[in-house]
Amino acid sequence: MITNESPGGKIKGLFSNRIVFVLAVILAFLAFLYFSRGISIILTILIQVTIFSIITMSLNLESGYAGIPQFGRVAAVIAGAFAVGAIPGRIMAAFMGLPAGAEYASDTVNFKLVPEINALLASSWLVSLGFLIMCLVLAALSGALIGWLISRPAIRLKEGYLGISMLAIGDFFMWVGHNWNIIVGGSTPVNVPDPFRVFGTDRFTVIVPVFFVIAILIFIYLNKLTQSPFGRNLRMLRDNDLSANAAGLNIVKVRTQALVIGAAIAAIGGGLYVIYTGSVAAIGLTRLTFTFWPWAYMMLGGIGSNIGVFLGVFLLTILRTMIIIFRSTWFGFLLQVGIDPLWLEYTLLGAVIIIVILFMPHGLVPEKIAPMLPSKRIKKVLADRQAVSK
Amino acid sequence: MAPWMSSGLIYASGLAMTAGSITLLYIVTRTFNFAVASMATIGFIVVYTGVSLYGGLPYQYYPFVLIIGAITGVICYYGLNRPLLYRKAAETTLMMSTLGYDLILLSLIQMYSDYLTYTFKLFPRRVTMSVFDFELYGESAATFILPITAIACLTILHFFLTKTKFGIAMRATIENPTLAGASGINSDRVYLVSWIISGSMAALGGSFMAMAMTGTPVMGMVTIPLMFAGAILGGLGNIYGGILGGMVIGLTEYAGVYFLAKQFGPWILGYRMGIPLFIMAATLLVFPRGLSGIPLGKIIKNLFGQKRGASA
Repeated sequence: MITNESPGGKIKGLFSNRIVFVLAVILAFLAFLYFSRGISIILTILIQVTIFSIITMSLNLESGYAGIPQFGRVAAVIAGAFAVGAIPGRIMAAFMGLPAGAEYASDTVNFKLVPEINALLASSWLVSLGFLIMCLVLAALSGALIGWLISRPAIRLKEGYLGISMLAIGDFFMWVGHNWNIIVGGSTPVNVPDPFRVFGTDRFTVIVPVFFVIAILIFIYLNKLTQSPFGRNLRMLRDNDLSANAAGLNIVKVRTQALVIGAAIAAIGGGLYVIYTGSVAAIGLTRLTFTFWPWAYMMLGGIGSNIGVFLGVFLLTILRTMIIIFRSTWFGFLLQVGIDPLWLEYTLLGAVIIIVILFMPHGLVPEKIAPMLPSKRIKKVLADRQAVSK
Repeated sequence: MAPWMSSGLIYASGLAMTAGSITLLYIVTRTFNFAVASMATIGFIVVYTGVSLYGGLPYQYYPFVLIIGAITGVICYYGLNRPLLYRKAAETTLMMSTLGYDLILLSLIQMYSDYLTYTFKLFPRRVTMSVFDFELYGESAATFILPITAIACLTILHFFLTKTKFGIAMRATIENPTLAGASGINSDRVYLVSWIISGSMAALGGSFMAMAMTGTPVMGMVTIPLMFAGAILGGLGNIYGGILGGMVIGLTEYAGVYFLAKQFGPWILGYRMGIPLFIMAATLLVFPRGLSGIPLGKIIKNLFGQKRGASA
């Protein structure tokens, strides 16, 4: 069907009233936080928003577009985090003639090695940039590998079975990292060389735009991907896999591709997260933070809509941060009976999931299927055809 | 009995109850119940509160566990599951909704634990429930009591499903909801009862598991992959399959860790979660429909020759 939508109408549709309203709420919250707590909290929120947008957009590709119940998002994030924690530092250490084998991750060696690597990175921004790119490439590659490995046994399973198997695999990876000292130090966290050391005290101010650029590149890539024939294949698979199969679609292949691309992107998110925090502790990469929160973000934002995902991440991250900052002033009544208001974070997460499911199943920004081509071009193609046939 | 055997048996009977609860709810309502995690923890918390505040044995608080587990199930059904079932929501949506309920329960459990610590100076974040147990024939009593209780519950459930009118109606709804509705069975009541049974089974299973492992407020959250593994191993088609699957998962975890650690050294203890998952994957490769998909009747028939319905 061809819609008579002008380019202006498309832009107007993109920034519909609801998006503007949510953006206004977000800005109001940010202004409030800025005036009450200063710039540092804004930077922290922005960094978290970029990292979790990347992870949630990858989840959106797999669950929102392809309809795979991805309850093991944490597995790919772990792959990226472990790759960045384990490999680039070793490569640098090997170049500098430092111990780079199994002893690199040992807690008695690592804390001496990483400052030396950091000193080298701080000396030139070119080396730092190269290091950052190496980290991201390694994270994406290991994520893709893990995504492919997980997809092998899991791909033929049905809805619920698939989700639960992925959940179990994600947990298993966390325990492997926690117990196998060689990867990321096991129960003692491994430090990650910091490619933003060049900027000294401005580290966080620089991280924000860099991460934002990466997130926006991924956003553009995913938007292109989901509007391509591949994206339409994914939606067809999600809406009716039987008819997709009848139409000649290779379901296993398309699903595998979605899982591999999604895992690679999520792994980039995991890599950025450990670069930002500066260390990898396997026990901290839980399914609560990296599977369930992204699901809540995605459901609030709108399944199958990348703009919505971004808004959902932004809104919920601000609310989470506000619970943490104002826990003693706003929830003092809980502290008086000895209850830590931090648990309200779980309540918020659960309540958001339930409210979204019950009262707005399409989220803040419902999925909108855009025409494949601008209507002008379709008309032109049709006119050309008619001219030829005449 | 070796220590791994007795604690493995206790743990496995707990896991069997929770896996059975997941399976029951799945076959009745198509809901993968994540909230089993927190329901199990609630079972532990109730027993712990009772034992440490009022004394006595853990077993005498099991009726309360059953009641509170049933209440959590009923709340979830009326608040969340019922509207979604009538809306014919997708399986993933049903699953996510129970996850939201689970997280709210988890936060309430955590707050309650804080409250216990502050008001009664109790410390529910690292509890060894077995110290409240008594000794029987040189073993902890739980080794005998819990598996027997599990079997008793299973027997009651079996008689409920096969001998009572409502149980038969319930099975009819499981087999064919449309036909059951057409013949006048109230599916709403069937769903409600299945939530009650599965809620109390999950809570009871959690209080069983706490006798073998360290009780914490995140106990259910940590073990939920194994509960699901048990249910999937059982094939998700049949309650008895789920219970058997949980039993197998729990026993292989304890036995596997014990023998592998003896063979290769204690480092293997960290990967204990991998053993049941490996068993699950291996079983699903051979029997894609889980343990309940094994054609046992056929095998026996082939072994002992054709007895019934044999026609030359």
